[in-house]
Amino acid sequence: MAEIVLETKNITKMFPETIANKNISFNLKKGEIHALLGENGAGKTTLMNMLYGIYMPTNGDIFINGEKVTIKSPLDAIKLGIGMIHQHFMLVETLTVLENIILGLKEYGFIINKKAVKEKLREIENLYGLKVDSDIKVWQTTVGEQQRVEIIKVLFRGANILILDEPTAVLTPQETQGLFKILKRMKDDGKSIVFITHKLEEVMQIADTITVLRKGEVVKTLLKNETTKSELAKLMVGKTTLRDFQKNKKETNEVILNIENLTVYSDKGTKSLKSINLQVKKGEILGIAGISGNGQKELVQTIAGLKKVAKGKIIFNGLNITNKHPRFISRLGINYIPADRLAMGVAPNLSSIDNAIMRRYYRFPLSKKGLMNYKKAFAYTRMMTKAYKIKLDNPFAPIKLLSGGNMQKLILAREILENPKLLIASYPTRGLDIASTQFFRQKLIEIANKGKAVILASEDLDEILSLSDRIAVMYEGSIVGILEAEKADKNTIGLMMTGAKA
Amino acid sequence: MLYFEKRQSVPQHFKIIIPIISLLIGLAIGAISVAIAGINPIDVYGGILSNAFGSWYAFSETLVAATPLILITAGLIVVFKMNIWNIGAYGQYIMGAIFSSYFALFASNGLSKPMMICVMVISSMVGGAIWALIPTLLKIFWEVNEVITTLLLNYIALYILKFLMYGPWKNPASYGFPLSKTFPQTAILPVLFKDTRLTIGIIFALISVFIVWFLIKKSKFGYEIRVIGDNPLAARYAGISVNRDIIIGMAISGALAGLAGMTEVSGIVHYLQVKIGADYGYTAIIVAWIAYLDPLVTILASILFGGLASGGYSLQITMRVSYGIVGLIESITLFSLVGAQIFLNYKLRWKNGSP
Repeated sequence: MAEIVLETKNITKMFPETIANKNISFNLKKGEIHALLGENGAGKTTLMNMLYGIYMPTNGDIFINGEKVTIKSPLDAIKLGIGMIHQHFMLVETLTVLENIILGLKEYGFIINKKAVKEKLREIENLYGLKVDSDIKVWQTTVGEQQRVEIIKVLFRGANILILDEPTAVLTPQETQGLFKILKRMKDDGKSIVFITHKLEEVMQIADTITVLRKGEVVKTLLKNETTKSELAKLMVGKTTLRDFQKNKKETNEVILNIENLTVYSDKGTKSLKSINLQVKKGEILGIAGISGNGQKELVQTIAGLKKVAKGKIIFNGLNITNKHPRFISRLGINYIPADRLAMGVAPNLSSIDNAIMRRYYRFPLSKKGLMNYKKAFAYTRMMTKAYKIKLDNPFAPIKLLSGGNMQKLILAREILENPKLLIASYPTRGLDIASTQFFRQKLIEIANKGKAVILASEDLDEILSLSDRIAVMYEGSIVGILEAEKADKNTIGLMMTGAKA
Repeated sequence: MLYFEKRQSVPQHFKIIIPIISLLIGLAIGAISVAIAGINPIDVYGGILSNAFGSWYAFSETLVAATPLILITAGLIVVFKMNIWNIGAYGQYIMGAIFSSYFALFASNGLSKPMMICVMVISSMVGGAIWALIPTLLKIFWEVNEVITTLLLNYIALYILKFLMYGPWKNPASYGFPLSKTFPQTAILPVLFKDTRLTIGIIFALISVFIVWFLIKKSKFGYEIRVIGDNPLAARYAGISVNRDIIIGMAISGALAGLAGMTEVSGIVHYLQVKIGADYGYTAIIVAWIAYLDPLVTILASILFGGLASGGYSLQITMRVSYGIVGLIESITLFSLVGAQIFLNYKLRWKNGSP
């Protein structure tokens, strides 16, 4: 029996409106990969944030190597040998990889002792196969490389316990396999790894032990060898089971959106879209795949009128909408679900009501002659939360207090209720539990079945494959190829995402 | 170990308790400083209190000082809610005074008093708005930071005023003092009560506060500025014309600061001079914060600051203490009021043991 390096006993974390974690106890052994499996909103990230000193537990104790500890800040956590690799990387893009790695460390001098740093980096490389060029700037590296930099960063600080929060979300299938190889080598070296995820395939592939969380509580802890995918899915979800979707093949040849030679520049002045040509037909779901940062976001935002077109045309239902005002475009029936809800989808400190009416506050009956009718806004929000099963205790409270999943449901409901002719959905089910994911995927299909169109840009390849009729793959601002979904497979798409032609 | 923890939500009563406690703490520290200077703090506070609120006349003087504060703050709230930092109320106030003075000094012939006041109100608002729109357009078209431009325009406004006062608008009979001619009777705001200096300017101020409150709470524009202030990207995404709203907001903000300048020259000073109390433009920034950007609370906060200013000012005459002492007390209370706002969003906690 290997020794236990980290243990939580009856950890509870309460927020004013919700209990995020309830009596959570779990053990992490030396040299194991322990998956924390659960739907988003199950409380995985809250639990890890407590281990990393971002939150303090309301109740319960944390033990490291058998000793009771209080972790008040990430600095404490690092001192205890805990390292966290966040889903969103915490790197300074304009600094070199090496500078990022030693950022905040005092041991390497006012004038950096590069030789000593590189020596240590070589050690880490030899041990775990983690290789990066330490002299280039972070913005020049790929997402996969940045993740490696983050891992090196925590190893450099002597971490024995690594927490990875949904590490594969931004990776191609090939990069994911690379990451798993590294994790295995670290495990063999005696490091302990907590792997947060909601993807069953990954758990079965990499984990030794699996703790399933649901609604803030531990459902069960099992050994990988003694369980199956379907058992895990059942534990995760409760009762609901996975099912496939029924797509009516009602695709027409009528084009609803026509994009010609679209070129868009980024804020830095580089081309983020390079002469894109794309057509979306009525009745279809067009998937857009690509590693994040290859132009998918720019493409969908440009269609929604949020980025300036430098060259080319966007024609919607025969009408030229190039560089038109976002309000004009949305009134024509194009609605957009942004990928990053906190950055664009909501005003976090405003109430759920204010956020629910964002698409229609200017129209009757919500407003009339320049005046708002907040009673009607309240009623509209109630209707929305009921119809879409959004858990909303206090609609007047800031929306940021909602769980990520509930917030996402509100955004989806808000856009779908506009009855769009073209719905652009960027990673629409991010953060949703399985039941809601199924519900909203069904909604997308309904929209397409009604002869309208959906553009689905997602980092979740499984989602794209299961919903789309055609899949456009983007790489460095261009469309590498468009595949019929029936003929596409994950491997081909993965390769195309790194620039290989179909 | 003592440490701060972020509050998940702010209890409503904290918004009242925290400023009261911090005001008391500020006054206590002020008392100690005054005692060190060898003056009895009870006399000083008693003096300020009675000079600010002790009699009807004293209170009317407090309201006189509160009038421009209310006007400017009401305008600032509109832009501060959008996270647009108009530091230029000082200059907008001066431009409002200059624009309205032009009509009082050179175009008053044949106009009745109501007409004249109307012309002066409108011209002051136009003057303030123009001065606020210069930095706004620079911001929108070239992304120039409005903090810098509004601040710098304050100096330009001050030098324009100085130029006029030492040059073309100077009263030849002023023995070299930088003043204009006295305004004609038709250009002077009527007082509300006999034997006070309180003019109908205070009514302009209350109406302005009400309009701003209505805009923010009830109008579509108010909804839009809340969204813009919280997340400009979400605002653009929701199809709000962010730039248009910023222009409208800055115009309102500048217009009300300009109107404040007019109420001062037309209501209190009765001529244009270099010193016309433009510092209200800076004080109002603090008043806006103390009032949590709430238009109605602004009235209270402005009266409080007006009282400190007018009470303190009288104090140097009645008690012969230097105005510096009053300035000191003012700064210390301000410091503690502003500093204590951290307790709104954070709580202090004590936890034993360290890892």
